[in-house]
Amino acid sequence: MDNLLLTAAAVLCVSGMAWLALAMDVHWKQVNKNPQSAQTVKVLRMLGYAALFVSLVCCLAVDHATMASLVWIMLLAGSALSVALTLSWRPRLLRLFALPFASA
Amino acid sequence: MFQNFRLSMAWLHTWFGLVLGFVLMAVFFFGALSVFDREIDRWAVPESRFDPQPMPSFDNLLRPIFEKMQPTKTDIEQFAPFAKGPMQERYDTVVTWGAYTTHRDPILNIFAGYEVPNAIEHDAALFTSRTIDPRDGKIFPDDSLKIGSRFFYPLHYSLNFHWMSLGYWIVGFASLIMLAALVSGVVMHRKFFRELFTFRPKKSTQRSTLDLHNLTGVVALPFHFFFAFTGLVIFAGIYFPISHTQLEKLHDQHELHEAAETGLPHDRAGVAAPIASVDAMVAEAKRRWAERGMGGDVGFLALRHVGDANGYVSVYRAGTDRIALTGEGIHFKASTGEVLREDPPSTAVESVNEFLTGLHLQHFRHWMLRWLYVLGGLAGCVCIATGFIFFVEKRKRQYVKQGSQNARVVDALAVTTVTGMLIAAVGMLIGNRLLPVTVPEGWPPRGDIEIYIFWATWVVAMAHAFLRSGPVAQARLNPAWIDQCLALAVLAPAAVLLNWITTGDHLVKTISEGYWPVAGMDLSLLVTAGLSFVAARHLRRKTQTESVAATNDIEDAEVQHG
Amino acid sequence: MATASPTISTRHIIGRIGAGILGGYAFVWGTIALLHAALYALGMPFHDAEHLSSIIGFLLYLTVFLWAFAAQNLTRVWLIFIVSGVVMAASASLIQHLLV
Repeated sequence: MDNLLLTAAAVLCVSGMAWLALAMDVHWKQVNKNPQSAQTVKVLRMLGYAALFVSLVCCLAVDHATMASLVWIMLLAGSALSVALTLSWRPRLLRLFALPFASA
Repeated sequence: MFQNFRLSMAWLHTWFGLVLGFVLMAVFFFGALSVFDREIDRWAVPESRFDPQPMPSFDNLLRPIFEKMQPTKTDIEQFAPFAKGPMQERYDTVVTWGAYTTHRDPILNIFAGYEVPNAIEHDAALFTSRTIDPRDGKIFPDDSLKIGSRFFYPLHYSLNFHWMSLGYWIVGFASLIMLAALVSGVVMHRKFFRELFTFRPKKSTQRSTLDLHNLTGVVALPFHFFFAFTGLVIFAGIYFPISHTQLEKLHDQHELHEAAETGLPHDRAGVAAPIASVDAMVAEAKRRWAERGMGGDVGFLALRHVGDANGYVSVYRAGTDRIALTGEGIHFKASTGEVLREDPPSTAVESVNEFLTGLHLQHFRHWMLRWLYVLGGLAGCVCIATGFIFFVEKRKRQYVKQGSQNARVVDALAVTTVTGMLIAAVGMLIGNRLLPVTVPEGWPPRGDIEIYIFWATWVVAMAHAFLRSGPVAQARLNPAWIDQCLALAVLAPAAVLLNWITTGDHLVKTISEGYWPVAGMDLSLLVTAGLSFVAARHLRRKTQTESVAATNDIEDAEVQHG
Repeated sequence: MATASPTISTRHIIGRIGAGILGGYAFVWGTIALLHAALYALGMPFHDAEHLSSIIGFLLYLTVFLWAFAAQNLTRVWLIFIVSGVVMAASASLIQHLLV
């Protein structure tokens, strides 16, 4: 169960970072030709922060509070790094995070 | 000195970052390796490749070993400068016996401290230590060097440079500079949030290097800051030894008060007394912890004033379930087993300190967090290395125009502390597998030879880096980068192969058995080889297109810090 | 661009570095000593006072180190470091003298 929760925390963190990155015009353009609306930006940001928050909750469900916060902060670092590297080499992989907003 | 704050911070970041960066590379790299120091030990000491064991019975297994223990000739020689007159041969007044284990240790570290009547500092004790197999009490030979916990780990906080404790001071200063570099880096980096995910590898070397430098610095900023800061806090007693110098009188007065308050005697009574069952004391300690909702195993067992009426036994809990380095120590009267004291819950300041030190020293059981720590450490290495590369890229044309060799020197040093350092580490592991288990008569101890191999390999890598650095003086890539990446791509798998040949523990076996310490090491070595090969290929392609790239670079040449 | 203005002498740079490292060290030593002694005198357990002072001390060292390079007047930096360092250290010893 713990491993499941920690995996979920990691996946949520990466997703959150991906959404936050896509909320930025320069990165949105790497994934999608159409310009994004102000509404899309808002929703992407909300999704991003929400995912990061739920990730923290998952961490707290597994460990003692101080340990969970540390795990979460390190996950944030790892996720931001993975998203950045993905954007550099295979930006199309992040398409699925932009999918619901593609037509916007 | 400068027109504004940002410029002063940029100067500081550049020049202090450059000079201390070479030290910080070693600190971050070997620090990252230290997360798995005990696993590296398993690889280096094949006789210790069995599962982690709990603390064994003191009464049946440890006590006979302790009673027979005496300091070794080396221990006595090392203490000699701290004593007046000649050193005794036998030491029978025992100040302390101790045993220490964690959830990752198959083997047990035990130590003993003996009273030295003619010591200059009257309190100073002569220490000796042993490594034993907790299953049967077998003592491991002195010269099987635990490459992880006794070489890589101390290297990251002391550079294994012990003369006048200079290594500690250099690392300490480098840590302060790390903090300064982080703050000044943030001040310089104008597009902190906008460029959080920015890495443009296809642009000029200068631009892509700076992007990667910023990326690895920013995403792991809390990690980098906290590790440098907590490292300083852990060694505060070395850097600001105020309690043992200016405020020594206050300290000594406090120690007497504390001994009176806690009921744990400061000195021997001078009256002999037996030692009651320590196993019973350990059981009682475990019972009391469980009662408090803090059930756990014993991490540290210590006896003080051994064999004396004032003797006491301290039992500490292994801290695997939280960050804070707590002990929940319970102290027993040695001769009767009655509880003298249960350490009270920590004060607010104690908790903060335990959290800070625990964060750095990582006694907790959490494999994901450990791997994330390694990632953070390696990100730090990439940050520093890209700093060097950016420095050279930005200035090499300027240095070429001036006819200066500075770019060559910095670049060669960068090669030395990046690929060179990796080669030295892998070289040591290869030496570890090639040396016979018992070295022939007249040779230095096996561990010492391994250490020579490490430093010698590093020196050779440095010489190679300098000798090949000619092209940098013409603003081109130093071929040593490619050479050393290729060397790594060959040496790392060689180490894995040698492990197989000399111990029979090949990857299929270790993975199927789930023996991760050795499997993890072999896999990490193979990944290193793979990455090095890809890097070599990428750099070779880059050298081939260098003349074309040079024209493009002139456009990007004056990249501002942004 | 991170280059010093061309009229800066090597002597000034050494002065800045000295201020940051040595002056900063003296200032922080004084701060830690005084904080430690004062907190202990006010009733904080000895080791708590010790740990809290060093935690604050290192954060302070970072701050004053940066200040040594950012400040306009180097002489003022040296004066503040040395004078405060000495005064604070002396005060710490005074407290010790009163307690022991």
